[in-house]
This record gives sequence, C-alpha cells and structure tokens, in this order.
Amino acid sequence: MSVSGVKKRSSRRAQEARLAWILISPTALIVFALVIFPAIFSIWVSFHDVGLHNLNDVFHTPFVGFENYKKVIDDYAFKFQGWNNWGAAVTTVVYSFASTTMAILIGLIASLVLNRPFKGRGVFRAIFLFPYVAPIVSIAFVWRWILDPRPSGVVNDILLNLSLIDSPKAYLATRGLSLIIVILLDAWRYFPFCMLMILARLQAIDATLYEAAKVDGANAIQQFFNITLPELRYVLGATFLLRLMWTFNKFDDIFLYTGGGFGTKVLPVLTYEFSFRLYDFGRGAATAMILLLILVMFMLVYVKIVMQKVED
Amino acid sequence: MTNEKKNLIGHLAAWINWKRFLFSVVLIFFLTSIIFPFYWMVSSSFKTRAEIGGREPVYVPGGLKLDAYRELFDPNHPSYQNFGRNILNTLKVSIPTAIIAVVLAVLGSYAIARFHFKGKNFLLNSILMVYLFPGVLLIIPLFAMLSQIGEKLGFPIQDNLAVLVFTYLAQTLPVALYMLTNYFRTIPDEIEQAALIDGCSRLGVIWRVTLPLSIPALISVSIYTFMIAWNEFLYALIFLNDRFMFTMPIKINTIFNDPTPRPNVVMAASTIMTVPIIILFLALEKYLAEGLTAGGVKG
Repeated sequence: MSVSGVKKRSSRRAQEARLAWILISPTALIVFALVIFPAIFSIWVSFHDVGLHNLNDVFHTPFVGFENYKKVIDDYAFKFQGWNNWGAAVTTVVYSFASTTMAILIGLIASLVLNRPFKGRGVFRAIFLFPYVAPIVSIAFVWRWILDPRPSGVVNDILLNLSLIDSPKAYLATRGLSLIIVILLDAWRYFPFCMLMILARLQAIDATLYEAAKVDGANAIQQFFNITLPELRYVLGATFLLRLMWTFNKFDDIFLYTGGGFGTKVLPVLTYEFSFRLYDFGRGAATAMILLLILVMFMLVYVKIVMQKVED
Repeated sequence: MTNEKKNLIGHLAAWINWKRFLFSVVLIFFLTSIIFPFYWMVSSSFKTRAEIGGREPVYVPGGLKLDAYRELFDPNHPSYQNFGRNILNTLKVSIPTAIIAVVLAVLGSYAIARFHFKGKNFLLNSILMVYLFPGVLLIIPLFAMLSQIGEKLGFPIQDNLAVLVFTYLAQTLPVALYMLTNYFRTIPDEIEQAALIDGCSRLGVIWRVTLPLSIPALISVSIYTFMIAWNEFLYALIFLNDRFMFTMPIKINTIFNDPTPRPNVVMAASTIMTVPIIILFLALEKYLAEGLTAGGVKG
C-alpha cells in the first residue's frame, strides 16, 4: 500500500473518532452530569452535615467525618435488635433474597409451562407479562384494596368463608406477616422477568439431548434434573444476580405497600426518610452508601463463588 | 342432552392424564392470580360508594356506574380531582423523555457500535454502572446539585417538569443506549460501507440505511423510555409539590392517602394509568418481549 493510502486511512480513522465523540457527547454529558457525578458527590455528602438550611450552599457545609455513618448504624431503625425487630439492614437482605428466590422459582415453573407447545401459547405468554409491565402504583393500590383489613376485603372475605381464619387480618399492617406478604407480592410482580430470561434459554436447548435421554429410558423428572437444570445454570445465576441487585435498590414497592412500617423498612426507604422526612441529607447519603457497600460485597462474593462454580 | 354431556366427559377422560392435569392446574392458577387483580381494578372503578363501603365485597358491580370517573373529571363534582391535568402532566414528561432519549441514544449507540475510539470501553462501563446505583442514592446529590444550579440560574427546581425530564433522561439513556448498541451491532457493516462508497456521508448513512433497518428496535426503545417516565414514582414524589403539577402516580398516591378513603376513585385513576400501557404492550408485544430481557425496564 502506498504511503498516501496509509495516511488517508489514518486520517479517516481520526475523523471517525472525532465524529464518534461528537455523536456520543450529549449522552455522555447527561450521564456524567446526572449519574456519575452525583454518585461520587453522594460519597462527599455522606461525610458532611447537609440539611435543608444549608442545601443552597452545599459545598461549604461542615465536614463531620464518620459521624453520619455512626448515627445510621446506631439508629434503632437500622440496627438488628432481636427477632421481633430486625432493623432495616437485616430486613433488606432477607427481603431481597427471599423475593428474588421466589421470583426465580415461579418464573422457572411458568417458563416450563410455556415451553410446552399448546394452542394460544403466545396469548398466555403476553398475559403472564402483565404484572411486570403494569405501573407499580396501580399494582400496589389494587393489592392493598384486595388485602383490605376490613371483613369486606377480598382475601379476608374468601378466607373467612372458607373458615381458614376466624377474624379479618390486616395483611399489610401486621409485623412479620407484612414482610411475607410483601415478598410474595414482589415475587408475583417480578416473576415474568425471570420467566422470559429462562424461556429464551429453554428454547435454545438442543432437542436431541432429550431424545437421547428418552432412548435411555429417562423419565420427565430425570430429564429435568439431568438436562434442563444443568443447561439453565448460567441463566439462573445471571438472572438471580440482576434481580437481587434491583430488589436491593428498590424503593417504590415497599413504600407503596406498607410505607416501610410493620417490620418492612428496607434501606432505600430508610434513606428516603432520613433525607426527605428529617431533611438530614448527610445521614441519608450515608445510609445509601451502606446499602451500596452491602450490595457490592454480596455481588463480589456471588460472582467469585457461585458464578465460578456455574462455569466449571 | 345427557348423551352429549357423557360424550364431553368421555372426551375429557380420554384426553386427560396426570401430566395434562397438572399442566392445566398450574396454568389456571397462574391465569387467575394474574387476571384477578386487573379485573378487580377495572371492576372496582365502576362501583358506587355504597358498593365499595359495604359489609361484603361486591364481586360484580351492579352496573357501569361512572361515579368514580366523575370525581376525576367532572368539574361540578364536590371533590373534583382535575385528573385530566395530571394525565397531561404525565404526557408532558414522558413524551419528551422518550423522544430525546431515543434521538440521543441513536447517535451515541451508533458511535459505540461502529467506531473505534479511545475511552470507549470506559465510557460504556461507566454508563452501565447506572444499573448498580439505587435511585435513592442519586436523588440526594441530584437534589442538592440542582437546587444549587437552579439558585444560580434563577429557575425553580420544584414543580418544574423540565427538570423532571432531565432526571428521567439520566435514568433512561443508559438503557436505551445499551439496547440500541446491541441492535446496531446486528446490522451488517457491509451494507453501510456500500452506501459510504456510493458517496453518502456518515449521517446520511445513519438516516437512510441504519435507521430504516432499525425500526423494531426504535419502537421498543421509545416505548420503554416512555413507560419508565410514565410509571416513575420516586423522583416525581420529591420534585413535585403542587398538585396541579403532579404526574399520575403522585396524584393516585395522594388520592389514596386522603382521609376519606375512596378505593373506587383510586381504582378509576389506576385503570386510566394502566390501560394505555397494557394496550401499547399488547399491540407491540412482538417487539417488546425481547427488550425486556435486554433490561428494557430496570426494576
């Protein structure tokens, strides 16, 4: 190739790189200004005493060291104080793990059902996605209305008629029960996501594997444990991680179902309360940082142990 | 008659085995648990105050009573909610979010999918980090930052829908970028090279070749960004104080927390908010289901 050819080529490369930066800069700018910078800035806020009174002069607020973190960790709403008062940290972990596991299990069952060929499968798949697609606000208030504590609530009415309970229950306002109900409701709302992920993988499994197993005389259950489950390992692991991450950070669901009361206070709700009820932004930021730390710790352990095992 | 019935049962008996039985039971269980809440939402919205407040739940409303909808939309109603205004606010936020996010994401993801440049991976990774950050973590510094900027430049940050659009862009752009980049990578480079050799400019290629080939992805990304903005709760809760500026989710939350509970009105508003989303989803399901697994809706 001639020298001018090389030159022309490299100048075209430089030109393309310039164009690339022009094309991506608006997006990069918005993401850096509104996500990356605030994320770093919130570390700064968590070490300062920031309240509503000095919010307009936030860069000159006093440095308080680990004071905010100490306040959070000593807070009765955060700390574990025995089995009838778990505190937000433990509640968050239990809630995230339980609802993620449930969502994956239900998603697995749903995907196995939808993986069988039958008439109207497409319609069923669309309907199965409704809980995930519908706005959380509507979903939350419908369930609150269905679980209404008065005898006229649907669940109370049905269970009373079946004589399964003898007095109406306040499902979302009873310590212990509320957390279970919220976990179930979240599993109901988020199983479709797991279902889609698993279904995509199920449909990619080589059919000859099953045929060979049938020839060898394996029954459906053996086929499931020896072929399907091993083939799904990776997608199950990845879906679990993704859902766990999102559930950990979730604010809307619990805030709308219980307002964080009755033993369902999770760290995102606690962050909100410190910041926008008490207007102690420093303490709020410290809570969010602790949340992030716990999350990152789990993810590292998970990726190190579980995902490695899956790959072996 | 009896003969026919026997036949039906006979057919059923011949068709059924334990596998099919189990399968049908599971399917019916899923269907009822999914459909019932939606049925309950829509049917409750047509109930009267008496039907809502009775001793026993009314499973089928006596008729399509519009009491709840009248409270939302009829200015002559004693507790008129002016919900039309809230629908308008939601649209004012979600349509610009969708349009701006798609336009910016098309440019950005084209650059990522097609060009090699320094810092690309760093950029991409930092954009994807958004998935890790809780929304509540970002809202505190954002609130502090924006009040500072608003003070300096003299615009209000509370009750300002434009500010809300900005924060929604930060939430939707990474998702849009990620989905579109993946899609652009599936379009063979050769087609574009041919157009370039024919004398098209890069922007011309994007406009005439890449975009027409990407219509399905563009539809699904714009619907997702629209839906994220339509449903968003936390940021709207913090940035909106004036009930004339409320978006639908905040308004529904306010009606729900009213001292005199009116579940039929809450359900009517929820129905109005949910039905368009479900219709949109059903109409475009073909494009949308795939996007869900690509992380279209974070959460």
